[in-house]
Amino acid sequence: MGTIYITQDDAFIGKTDERLQVRSQKKTLLDVPMIKVDGVVVLGRATISPAALIELLERKIPLSFLTGTGRFLGRLEPPLTKNIFVRSAQWQAGENSPQAVHVVRGFIRGKLKNYRNTLMRAQRDASDPNSAAVAKLAEGIRRLEHAIAPINTTDTIDALRGLEGAGSAAYFGCFQHLLRAAGFSFTTRQKRPPTDPVNALLSFGYSLLRHDVESALNIVGFDPYLGYLHTQRYGRPSLALDVMEEFRPLVVDAMVLAAINRRSLTPTDFSTEPLSGAVSLSDDGRRTFLRLYEQKKQSQFKHPVMAKQCTYQEAFEIQARLLAKYLMGETDQYPPLVLK
Amino acid sequence: MYVAISYDISEDKRRTKVHKILKSYGQWMQYSVFECDLTETQYAKLRSRLNKLIKPDQDSVRFYFLCACCYAKVERIGGEHVRDDSIFLV
Repeated sequence: MGTIYITQDDAFIGKTDERLQVRSQKKTLLDVPMIKVDGVVVLGRATISPAALIELLERKIPLSFLTGTGRFLGRLEPPLTKNIFVRSAQWQAGENSPQAVHVVRGFIRGKLKNYRNTLMRAQRDASDPNSAAVAKLAEGIRRLEHAIAPINTTDTIDALRGLEGAGSAAYFGCFQHLLRAAGFSFTTRQKRPPTDPVNALLSFGYSLLRHDVESALNIVGFDPYLGYLHTQRYGRPSLALDVMEEFRPLVVDAMVLAAINRRSLTPTDFSTEPLSGAVSLSDDGRRTFLRLYEQKKQSQFKHPVMAKQCTYQEAFEIQARLLAKYLMGETDQYPPLVLK
Repeated sequence: MYVAISYDISEDKRRTKVHKILKSYGQWMQYSVFECDLTETQYAKLRSRLNKLIKPDQDSVRFYFLCACCYAKVERIGGEHVRDDSIFLV
């Protein structure tokens, strides 16, 4: 099972028999059985035939639209599952209820601990243990630990948001020391638009991650728009953003760093727009990035709670199910995914 | 489950139809040979579609099942490459 990424501009998505075909300029570019597809992501522009659209909906295959640079536009998806109990549990755990506080703690603890582990790994792998970079990393780890320590005793979501902010600031403060390839630098996290290659890659990666996490939440039966850490805002899938937190460092940051440090992507793969300063990937760079992201998603690790091998793709759904179990009162804790 | 499917069909039109159906379930490896990685349901559906189409007195379709450990032992020299199903880039 795999995801189809369509980067070809003005492609046509059609259906023949039980296959999905992508055509452009009278040439068939792709012809795959529907049974092998578990998601379609359109980057840029594409048209889709009515028959293919219905077939995708019936097979519960989500279709997401992103701009060519990876900004999320929207998605088409079969209806929410009939599991009303999950959704009602989700709504009952309203603002500042003990359950909401507990899961927010989980999300933040997961994210910050994964941040810390990333930095600690970089510190261990450093060639010169006395360099200024390692000192910065140690400083970052200390600040992260400062943010992690009070999580379990903090009782309001606003205060927890503060800890999350402090932890993220500490992490991104020494993110530049994780880059080891010439030509790449990082000063601060820049969004809307990202103005340097590293930020562009992070933003693009988070968009793709959001597509996957939102699908997992939908499969489990959640309403992705009601979150706990992220407040309600029109059109914002807050719960998807919440559950994403612990996966950001594990999936996106790790693969972005690997892509840069192993020189899969070089500064020549990027171009800057003159007025806004927005940085975007070239067509070839984008393909490389998508392939790396998919490989990362399909890579296996041992899930610490379930104690079995799984891929990150499966982990999105496992975490969503653990969250559902907690909210419905079947377990007394939500364990975030933390990997060493 | 992993199935190697071969067919022998006398009439051109019917053969093309069989070929088209099989393409929706697996990969065309050689003339009249497909390899498909299917679930029980998908296999049942495929078999019923083929069953409705072919004429048993003239045609034949064979399904060879490979167990999980035998699948890894398939050797290939030349010909069609196995499709990577984890990502499709266009």
